[in-house]
Amino acid sequence: GSEAAGGEQRELLIQRLRAAVHYTTGALAQDVAEDKGVLFSKQTVAAISEITFRQAENFARDLEMFARHAKRSTITSEDVKLLARRSNSLLKYITQKSDELASSNMEQKEKKKKKSSAAKGRKTEENETPVTESEDSNMA
Amino acid sequence: MDGRVGLRASRRAAPTPRVAVRSSPRHRARVREQEPVVSAMSGSGLGKENKAGSSTPLRHRPNAFSELDNATPRVMLRKIIQNQPQVSPLALQTVQLEETEDARPEPPSQRTSSTVELQLPDLVPEDASVTTFRMTRKRKKLSISEFERAADKRLPQNQAHSTLDSTLVRSLRMSVGSVMAPDTVEKRGLLRRPQNHKAIDIAAFEGGVEQNMLQIKAQDYLVDLQTSSMTGTTTIRTDAEVVLNNTELFVEPQLGEQNLLAVEPQLSDSKTSAQRSNTSYPAHEKARLEGLVSRVSTDERRTLRFSEKDLITDHEHVDGITQKTPAKQGEEEQDHSQQNDPMEQFSESEEMAGTTEHHADAEYSEHSEKKLSRKAVSQLTAAQDAGVEMEMTPSEGGVAEGTEHQDSPKAELQMAGSPGGHSPASYSLEKPGAKPLKEAVEQTGEIERGTITGVLDAAEEEATDDESDKEDHESEEISMKTPMFVHAAAYRPQPVLSPPHPVKSASPELPPQPVRAKPVPKSSGAAQRKTREPEIASSLIKQIFSHYVKTPVTRDAYKIVEKCSERYFKQISSDLEAYSQHAGRKTVEMADVELLMRRQGLVTDKMPLHVLVERHLPLEYRKLLIPIAVSGNKVIPCK
Repeated sequence: GSEAAGGEQRELLIQRLRAAVHYTTGALAQDVAEDKGVLFSKQTVAAISEITFRQAENFARDLEMFARHAKRSTITSEDVKLLARRSNSLLKYITQKSDELASSNMEQKEKKKKKSSAAKGRKTEENETPVTESEDSNMA
Repeated sequence: MDGRVGLRASRRAAPTPRVAVRSSPRHRARVREQEPVVSAMSGSGLGKENKAGSSTPLRHRPNAFSELDNATPRVMLRKIIQNQPQVSPLALQTVQLEETEDARPEPPSQRTSSTVELQLPDLVPEDASVTTFRMTRKRKKLSISEFERAADKRLPQNQAHSTLDSTLVRSLRMSVGSVMAPDTVEKRGLLRRPQNHKAIDIAAFEGGVEQNMLQIKAQDYLVDLQTSSMTGTTTIRTDAEVVLNNTELFVEPQLGEQNLLAVEPQLSDSKTSAQRSNTSYPAHEKARLEGLVSRVSTDERRTLRFSEKDLITDHEHVDGITQKTPAKQGEEEQDHSQQNDPMEQFSESEEMAGTTEHHADAEYSEHSEKKLSRKAVSQLTAAQDAGVEMEMTPSEGGVAEGTEHQDSPKAELQMAGSPGGHSPASYSLEKPGAKPLKEAVEQTGEIERGTITGVLDAAEEEATDDESDKEDHESEEISMKTPMFVHAAAYRPQPVLSPPHPVKSASPELPPQPVRAKPVPKSSGAAQRKTREPEIASSLIKQIFSHYVKTPVTRDAYKIVEKCSERYFKQISSDLEAYSQHAGRKTVEMADVELLMRRQGLVTDKMPLHVLVERHLPLEYRKLLIPIAVSGNKVIPCK
């Protein structure tokens, strides 16, 4: 009864998510198509979106495993970085982004705490980001 | 069911001690007679002891049956049994419980069915006893006085009073009543005993059945028994695939080569499970580099492990590699062995066996590679010595120690002290410690096999030089260790050799940190200067690879395979390091390895880690990794 309804609801939700992923994939594919001058068939887009969806499930499970491995109950950026280890370039990119986020968070805190020019000076320093290398290990 | 509950409650309220006494022993006796093996009558605590006939329960309760001289429950039971159809033990137990409850007539009931209890021979329940009992359950009220009266008359009366709702119920009553002696002294204490039937029934039943079957047909039923018994102990999910995970500790292998099957029971089960699992998990194999090796080959591996003699014959294809051995032998420096040839054979067979092990366990290589390298090596060596030797000599023991000494220099390579014995256990499987392996193999060279010592030698050389790269060194050890370990496990049970010695020497080493002042190998003296990165012996890879491929392989292919395996080990060791660091540790633990395996897809919700361990690791390592394996179970066949 209630379980079945909950299950159905869950199924509906999953379908909606799938549709959202599919739509986003289509939009991105279109951008790439315009950019590179190639065309994407519908099957391709559908395949990509399905893969993305399933991979997202895998990621979620792995992330939860990683968080539990670190005896935590919250998934943090550390878990995400661990997940991205498979691809070197991806890992670097994520690390860089997370550093940027962390620094911007710190900046906001600093701004709140002290609204001095020193904080602004620090901000300009942190804005420099390392150049990303394009090495990709593909050792998944 | 309400009836049952009601009965139970009523039973507790104010059951006639007599009734209680009558019912409980009667139930038990009856059950025992029909299911001599099953010791399900645990409720009252007597069931467990019950393996014999009905007289057993009586003896346990002397007071209750002191007056049963004339109509012993045994006689009663015999009559019942002769007249009642056999029912499955499980059902019977359920029934029995219900019987017990029904037999306790509590509150005054309007039924005069008590007479029912008296009929013995007639009782032939038309339906299944289960049905019968269920029906009885509906009778909530049965006057105690009536019951007693019925019990008094129970002996030879075959009255078919059907005050009960059904003859079935009546028959049930009769059987129940007949067993009980009307004059039995009531025991209050007996009242509550049968209560726990259900909780223990199935487990006890399975145990009893198992024992019975084992006694009757020792080997043929081992597989089935073990499966059922293991099912209780392991947490295998009821999944089609999981069902295939045969985690018996001891399963008779269905090998064509039989020889030492009996001798190596632990291997046989792994083999059987390997056989079954082979089909289930081909994907994993393919995914790996070693995926070239099909799981099916594990059968061969197991076979190798099982029979020494078979190893010799089975390694015909390896003969080609044997040629390299002599050449490489000269390279050995720290050879303790004086028996190169036999050792070669042995190492070859070991490697062959180890190959499958290696491949199968490639996934396990993650198991704390770093820490276990040393211990694994020494352990493997020792194990090998123990198992392999056909003509065990004390030299083996000495060599084992020597091997251990060699391990000490490698100790530096280890990431950190391995925390648990289990890690070393699993690791030792993986670690084909080049140097120590060779030594161990050499030591066990007593066995006349044309093994490829060269492989070991090469590995040894390289291992000697390694001080630089832990990972590679360890991976070397992994590949080297596997075959030795396999062989060691295979030969371990042989009583001829002094297996317990080396094994014992090996096992204690596992937990403690082997920081020995091992004499630095001479070969490494000059070579160490250039700190060459340790590599897996190419000959080993060739051997393993060709064993599984069974077709000719070009040299270039071997090179590629070697590169891939090296890359693979690097990657997993890096992953393991990341995982342990993620958990804020500095030591790679089994949790890290399990996490990696889960990520690889080897360990899933359907396939727990310990199932894989049981499937692929010999018993000694399983004992370290799986507590259940060391729970004190008796090994059958015990040799």
